[in-house]
Amino acid sequence: MKAFSAIVRRELIATFSSPLAYIVMAAFLLLQGALFALIVGYLSQPGQSSMSILQAFFGGTIFFWFFLVVAPLITMRLVAEERRSGTIEVLLTSPVTEAQVIVGKFVAVFIFYLALWAPTLVYVLIVKSQAAIDWGAVASSYLGVALFGALFVSLGLFASTLTRNQVIAAVISFTGLILLFGLPLTRGLLTSSSGFGAIIDHADLWQHMADYAKGIVDTRYVVYELSLTGLFLFLSTKSLELSKWR
Amino acid sequence: MIEVENLTKIYVDTPVVDGLSFFVPEGQILGFLGPNGAGKTTAMRMITAFLPPTTGRIVVAGVDLDADSVGLRRNIGYMPENVPLYPELRVEEYLRFRADVEGVTRLDLPSRLEYVVERCMLSDVRRQVIGTLSKGYRQRVGLASALIHKPPVLILDEPTVGLDPNQIIKVRELITELGKDHTVVLSTHILPEVEQVCDRVFIIDQGRIVADGTPDALRTRLIGNPVVRVEIRGAGDDGPELFGRLPGVVAVERRSGGVFFVEHATESDPREAIFNLAVDHGWVLLGLTPEQATLEDVFVRLTTADDVESFTASTAQEA
Repeated sequence: MKAFSAIVRRELIATFSSPLAYIVMAAFLLLQGALFALIVGYLSQPGQSSMSILQAFFGGTIFFWFFLVVAPLITMRLVAEERRSGTIEVLLTSPVTEAQVIVGKFVAVFIFYLALWAPTLVYVLIVKSQAAIDWGAVASSYLGVALFGALFVSLGLFASTLTRNQVIAAVISFTGLILLFGLPLTRGLLTSSSGFGAIIDHADLWQHMADYAKGIVDTRYVVYELSLTGLFLFLSTKSLELSKWR
Repeated sequence: MIEVENLTKIYVDTPVVDGLSFFVPEGQILGFLGPNGAGKTTAMRMITAFLPPTTGRIVVAGVDLDADSVGLRRNIGYMPENVPLYPELRVEEYLRFRADVEGVTRLDLPSRLEYVVERCMLSDVRRQVIGTLSKGYRQRVGLASALIHKPPVLILDEPTVGLDPNQIIKVRELITELGKDHTVVLSTHILPEVEQVCDRVFIIDQGRIVADGTPDALRTRLIGNPVVRVEIRGAGDDGPELFGRLPGVVAVERRSGGVFFVEHATESDPREAIFNLAVDHGWVLLGLTPEQATLEDVFVRLTTADDVESFTASTAQEA
């Protein structure tokens, strides 16, 4: 446990001593702020009240672009850099397991991810000062943000175990994320009655997030996100073990 | 302390480490000596449980690699080649990190930190960021972090590479010191290093141990009898013959003018007799020095022998 928390702590120090962390944070807040301002402006016009601000903010297309760019950026370093610099050799000859290393890194990057989102809670307060707010929907929206984050950083972490080059890791996780998001687009190619269609409907992340933003927490969605996260963590651990053989 | 049996690593079809078997008793400082690419690093990586061996058995301080890989790693302090460190951490942060990962208890941590900082002379740079340290300090941070959990076995891959001569001397002294409390395995391709530091040397070439012994024994066995260099003014043509008659002398060779190389049996020392001989004949003795044959010769002979053979074989074929 001490080894595990040491890994988490070291990873956080590494994250926050790199300028990348601050650039990502600044860009993230700038874009989120701009999006929020646009949505508030749009919804303030007369006759546009059919949609809640949460639905517009979290359910919209632009929202997903944050993940596509942010997740590869904050995860690409995790294992690739240790493999490039050779520190992985020190880490893996210490009495820790590969699973401890992977989960430690995951927890650290997930904390950073949540820290990226934390300032957006201010927007909630801004809205609250002007209008009524459905706190249940706020909670479920942020639950969705957390679940999606866990899934996407675990995918990025897996990509980072595959190479010693951070850019390659980022490209792999970017591609993986696009495939995951793009899945529902193939729906139109399939006949509606086929079994694949049902699977794709179930895996439609856009639908998941739209529901979270409405205040609906469907346990099937939660299970989907959590099990994919678990899968990618498992694959990362196996990949790290296999990296010894390469 | 370390038992290795028939350790082999095969990459595709090429054996990098080829049937290594040896035993290292407690407290020994063992040197792996060999040219680049001889398999030293690969062997060390297998002993430290970083690389899985193709075949073979490894036991360190009673723990078998196959039975308990994590337990085996607990017994080893390892410093890889080029000393990889996290550049963004401060020295003390890094040592604390390594202590936590290696399982040092909270109770022991302060005393262990003090001990390694003092031992590796790091007190000046405790608060410094590792990325800003000189190579010599980085090396010492690497050593300190390998020591932090009081491992019975230390494995150091090329511990003095890239250091300046003063730093090399300091690191060698430190390793000699550490040899009193730890069993040490180090690798190097610098010959004086093993002569100064090690109790025992393996010369490794193409993944095999081609020689095993103390530096002295290796030198004597492989280079032959010791030689004394004698420089004399006034010796006539009968000089070689007169030297040859002295007890223990095996052969005499006359170089330019008054310089003689007197080869003698290992157990005898003819220097006193040579001095008396010079006095009796009225020669002026200008120099009388035992020739230090170096391991360099052994090394070159052992690690190029195969090449010479295959070279002659291939030229013979062409002819």
